[in-house]
Amino acid sequence: MAGIRAGIRAEQRMQARSVSRVKRKQEENFFDYSMLFIVLFLLGFGLVMIYSTSSYSAALQHEGDSAFFLRKQAVATVIGLFAMIVVANIPYHFWERFATLAYIGSAVLIPMVLVPGLRYTANGASRWIKVGPLTVQPAEVAKLGMILFLASLVCKMGRGIRTTKGFFTVLLVPAPICLMIWKITNNLSSAIIVFGIAALMLFVSSPEYKKFVIMGVAGIAGAAALVALIVNVAASEDMNFRFARILAWLDPEAYANGKGFQTLQALYAIGSGGILGKGLGQSRQKLGFLPEAQNDMIFSIICEELGLFGGIAVIMMFLLLIWRFMVIANNASDLFGALLVVGVMGHVAIQVILNIAVVTNTIPNTGISLPFISYGGSAVLFMLIEIGLVLSVAKGIRLKDL
Amino acid sequence: MPWKHKTYIRKKIVVTFFLCCAVFLLLCGRLFYLMVVQSEYYTEAAEDLHERERKIKAARGRIIDSTGAVLADNRTVCTISVIHNQIKEPEEVVKVLSRELGLSEEYVAKRVEKYSAIERIKSNVDKETGDKIREYDLEGVKVDEDYKRYYPYETLASKVLGFTGGDNQGIIGLEVIYEEYLKGKEGTILTVTDAKGVEIAEAGEERIEPENGNDLYVSLDINIQSYATQLAMQAMETKEADSVSILVMNPQNGEILAMVNVPEFNLNEPYTLPEGTAESASQEEKQNLLNQMWRNGCINDTYEPGSTFKIITAAAGLESGAVTVNDRFSCPGYVMVEDRRIRCHKISGHGAEDFVQGTMNSCNPVFVTVGMRIGVDRYYDYFKQFGLLSKTGVDLPGEAGTIMHKKENIGAVELATISFGQSFQITPIQLATTVSSIVNGGTRVTPHFGVKVVDSEGNIKETLKYPVQKNIVSAETSATMRYILEQVVENGSGKNGYVEGYRIGGKTATSQTLPRGSGRYISSFLGFAPADDPQVLAIAIINNPQGVYYGGQIAAPIVRQLFENILPYLEGIDYNT
Repeated sequence: MAGIRAGIRAEQRMQARSVSRVKRKQEENFFDYSMLFIVLFLLGFGLVMIYSTSSYSAALQHEGDSAFFLRKQAVATVIGLFAMIVVANIPYHFWERFATLAYIGSAVLIPMVLVPGLRYTANGASRWIKVGPLTVQPAEVAKLGMILFLASLVCKMGRGIRTTKGFFTVLLVPAPICLMIWKITNNLSSAIIVFGIAALMLFVSSPEYKKFVIMGVAGIAGAAALVALIVNVAASEDMNFRFARILAWLDPEAYANGKGFQTLQALYAIGSGGILGKGLGQSRQKLGFLPEAQNDMIFSIICEELGLFGGIAVIMMFLLLIWRFMVIANNASDLFGALLVVGVMGHVAIQVILNIAVVTNTIPNTGISLPFISYGGSAVLFMLIEIGLVLSVAKGIRLKDL
Repeated sequence: MPWKHKTYIRKKIVVTFFLCCAVFLLLCGRLFYLMVVQSEYYTEAAEDLHERERKIKAARGRIIDSTGAVLADNRTVCTISVIHNQIKEPEEVVKVLSRELGLSEEYVAKRVEKYSAIERIKSNVDKETGDKIREYDLEGVKVDEDYKRYYPYETLASKVLGFTGGDNQGIIGLEVIYEEYLKGKEGTILTVTDAKGVEIAEAGEERIEPENGNDLYVSLDINIQSYATQLAMQAMETKEADSVSILVMNPQNGEILAMVNVPEFNLNEPYTLPEGTAESASQEEKQNLLNQMWRNGCINDTYEPGSTFKIITAAAGLESGAVTVNDRFSCPGYVMVEDRRIRCHKISGHGAEDFVQGTMNSCNPVFVTVGMRIGVDRYYDYFKQFGLLSKTGVDLPGEAGTIMHKKENIGAVELATISFGQSFQITPIQLATTVSSIVNGGTRVTPHFGVKVVDSEGNIKETLKYPVQKNIVSAETSATMRYILEQVVENGSGKNGYVEGYRIGGKTATSQTLPRGSGRYISSFLGFAPADDPQVLAIAIINNPQGVYYGGQIAAPIVRQLFENILPYLEGIDYNT
């Protein structure tokens, strides 16, 4: 804790030097330029990598327009940045009144993907709704909605969180949303992320440790038992098909033409990168071998082009960002703000960890994008709105409180 | 808000951060494992995927005889491959390729479905079939031309030349022994492609030109070889023999001019068993039959030489002083060795005769007596000195060694039988080489085919040299042997080998094969000319003839006919060029 305080103080000194001519009101409040810089860096780096990974196939698919994906992503990023600035300048308590609405809204929005007029399908998955020129992924809305709703709920519960009833309330509230995301939009990974965010917020707000350790151990043991079971019953054709994803995870080369294909191609990309990589733009796997290289598997191309150093540098940037979230959360002026930041922190951390784990075949393949870097308009827009929220919480920190 | 008092929340946020750190560290470890430890494996796999490697076959060197005739040549054939990502209609590709190439659909389908830059379906496809496949114009199917070994004379000297396998590598014969000179070096075209198989222009194309193999010039003479083959075929048919071998060599330097082993086989279809062979079910059985068909009897098989071996006994006797040309003998039709009675082929006996007459008569008692006089120790030493215990070193694979008694096991009876060429086995090439050495003045030569290696531009790369061993017998003994063997043909048992106008030396042999009493014989005749300065030596061996089986009556005429034709022909060839 002391170290973190020291960090903040250093921040404060730098701040003091550059803000001397700015208005009095802002002098009193904290603005997290470090976090903003990290986010902008990741966005810029993401755009470079999206161009690098997609230009070849974009030129083939869109009549020589190699910047096709870059342009779409850049537009989403600009809109996202604008939204971020707006949200950052609105005191975050403004949103508290919409907490219940956000939860209900998510629950209503998700089934919309079943409505033929609204449904938008890409890459064989119906996960988007389209209104006019706008496509939105309800799962992204649900992530933000869940953060807002749980932050508000925990604040209202007060000491009630310490009771078993309170504990299970927070644990069960996200369940319907998760089930809907999983079953209706057929998107297990987003369901896991929403649940993960909720679990992390509960972990932080509850003084308990034991329950979480038991839950964690039970979860890991259950997963291991399930995998062992699947491997044993995989002999039959039907089972083999059903659990191909798990089996392909264990031995991607045996399923090279099926479920293991994407993973194997990602491994080829990562492995062939070596320590220093092939150089920016020099990836071979992006030349159609790794399909949709700009999406979920973008990290493997980063590794191929920039090597182990590039890969670890990206991980370090995310770690820095999470460190900033921690600092802001710990210094937030109230519990609601702190919990909002914890939610965003959980969102970013879970997604980064799962994405890299998938790309390196550490866990079975499931579609999870890398925040700020992977191609995807909804994701970057909502991510930047969340960053806006965090900036707003950071602004609420009065410098004299540090 | 009671936030300021909830310090445990702050603690938990820090715990969360450090949990993230731990997980990130694990992921970094995983990255390190993939990108450093496993890097080589994945790099190789990825390159395999990205680089399309196409082999450019090198033309294998030709085999050319002493007259300049090309005995082994190359013909254009096609290699059919598929490029996974360029295939538009996989079913059609599988159907066409399996039909045209005579392959099973599963075999082709497996290769078509394999996700690789290029996959070879079949090589050594006729140019005709290749052109046909090209006409289908199927996307993703590549027809590359390359070379296949082709033998213009088909069966000629088949067991000498040998043939090549699917990768143009030598399988038997000269093709194996001179593989290094003949094979050349494959070239490659390396191109980097995208997933659709489109070549990436910036990555360039790496082309390594093939190096063609060197031509091998051999001492075989197509005219002599062809004629000898005819004679052998004739003899095999008229005598209903199992096989007939004829070996013609230059006794002065060991160059082999002809080596015939009928029945020969078609070098362009080396895996086709002769007609009339039962369709044997087992693969192993078939392979055995093929191996049998490919055997070169002159080199791979041993036999009891019989009376032709008396040349060696005579040379050893003369060299050791155990006998002189004027020594007198008496043959009662048999000779007693210890308690054994060894018969002469003339049961009534040859009566009184000198050593030259004894050789002319091929009289067993005379040679048993000479062998006894030499004694086991000295005889064995000469056996060794003449080179009979080691291989000749001929430049063909699989030469068989001599099957001989151990010295300590040779008693009087064994020595007696060895003296007239029985109870041990040597190869025909060994006999021809040893006799060459005895009649050429005493120089043990190495029998061989390879003369020189010439590169594809026509420059001599190497003139092949072979070891020689001088003075295995004295010049004097050698001269005496030439005289005696000329007498054998002029007036003795080898008179059927006589060619008018030429001085011929020689010796006949008729040996019963083991087990005795089976009625199977090997008849042979060894002749050389001119008798006073041998330039050519020939041996004809008839394996299991029916009817008359005496070497003097059936093998000698073959050599005579051969000499009648090749001696005038050889006189026209100046060996110094």
